[in-house]
Amino acid sequence: MGAGNRLAGALTFVMPLAALVLIWAVVVPAFQVRPQIFPSVAAVIGAGLAGLRDGSLLTHAATSLARVAIGTVLAVLVAVPLGILMGISRGLSAFLTPLLRFFSVLAGIAWIPIATLWFGYGFGAIVFVIFNAVFFVVVYNTLLGVSTIPMPLRHAAASLGAGRRAMLSDVLLPGALPNIVTGIRTGLGFAWRGLIAAEMIATNVGLGYMLFVARDFYQTEVIVLGMIVIGALWLSIDRLLLAPLERATIERWGLVRA
Amino acid sequence: MKTLSLKSLSKTYFDLYAGSHHTALHDISLDVPAGEFVAIVGPSGCGKSTILNMVAGFIAPSGGEILVGGEPVRGPGADRGVVFQSFALFPWKTVLENVGFGPKMRGVPKAERDEIARDYLGLVGLAHAADRYPNELSGGMQQRVGVVRALANEPDILLMDEPFASVDAQTRMTLQEELTRIWEDRRPTVVFITHDVPEAVFLANRVVVLSKGRILEQVEVPLARPRVWDRLVEDDAFKSLSNKVLALVRAA
Repeated sequence: MGAGNRLAGALTFVMPLAALVLIWAVVVPAFQVRPQIFPSVAAVIGAGLAGLRDGSLLTHAATSLARVAIGTVLAVLVAVPLGILMGISRGLSAFLTPLLRFFSVLAGIAWIPIATLWFGYGFGAIVFVIFNAVFFVVVYNTLLGVSTIPMPLRHAAASLGAGRRAMLSDVLLPGALPNIVTGIRTGLGFAWRGLIAAEMIATNVGLGYMLFVARDFYQTEVIVLGMIVIGALWLSIDRLLLAPLERATIERWGLVRA
Repeated sequence: MKTLSLKSLSKTYFDLYAGSHHTALHDISLDVPAGEFVAIVGPSGCGKSTILNMVAGFIAPSGGEILVGGEPVRGPGADRGVVFQSFALFPWKTVLENVGFGPKMRGVPKAERDEIARDYLGLVGLAHAADRYPNELSGGMQQRVGVVRALANEPDILLMDEPFASVDAQTRMTLQEELTRIWEDRRPTVVFITHDVPEAVFLANRVVVLSKGRILEQVEVPLARPRVWDRLVEDDAFKSLSNKVLALVRAA
């Protein structure tokens, strides 16, 4: 994709969002919507600037991002090896798959109550919720990735002299990578939602907390600011971090599954 | 180069649909001396690919023995290089890395194995494609890489499972000529599986006709080398040998 195309792509992406802001800017004053119901554009910008000035917005956002990053990294570190083990061991896969199915339905906010009992309010409970959101979907996708590697590739490696370690590093891991990336992308989406929910309940800092507390004071401008930051952060992570990772590897190898 | 011996080899599958055992191969005995090119032909379902998969060590025989240089086969190994119908190149490795994979597994240092890989790629006119990924190449080019990847590992025996079945007819003839040229030059021991009779006769020293899991007949191919299609299409000896094998396969 050329630079011109990419610019055009970015424009098509931003245009509808800009249109929405425009409608908002027109509708709120036109109907004299009360600020307790919905804030004006200016009020939200003001809240954003205030949050930036006193540093609170950055603290909330950075805390939320750090929790997601730590939970995700921990989950991927455990999930990928487990998924690969399941991919090469039929018995292990048969035994764990029903559990995986069960827990992947639960993954996310259903864990919040028990997480707060185990870890108390704060960092531990929230990272645990994120871990769960990412873990199950990454295990499942890694397993799927390993099992979709064509048998001749494994045979080829074996007859070229690959032992267990080389089979893992040169065949199973790269072969499962497209699915692993998909799993991380999906899992991060779950994690981000789970994070906001968990922060409303189990902490006193973070974007979810910021939103929830603003409600107690009818600060709709802070609530909407929080919602915008949450959405924008997720889109940036997805488009600036995950999508380029996919382009750099998977598309180059011709492994993208339509 | 080593001798390959199949001794009373058999393979029985349990057929889940029929609920009974199905015998894919009966009592196959075959000797392939070092440096010989043997082609195994037969209609689909005759068990020819099963033989190759057992020699490669991908599946275990139900009875009998496979010996390479007198040693029994117990699984896949670098002494038997395999060229697959589906090419089986690693999509995440460049062409150079694919060809250098066998040497890498033997612990050959990077600079040295890159040089080996470049030499082998030159053999099939693909030196320019070294840094590309397999999905950027045509089917014919991919299979050239598949062949030299197996050769670069210097196996005792080269096993080829319908390697040219999925490329177009024009490319197939070019690949066949390249393969004979390489074989005439280096004389590896080759077992070549195909259902294409002219291909078998063109390439091999000996054609083994397989039918319903048994060896029906073995036909020696004393045609002169180097073999090229331009000459052989008009060659009477080639035509009569092809017709003979074709008649056997059709009767099979």
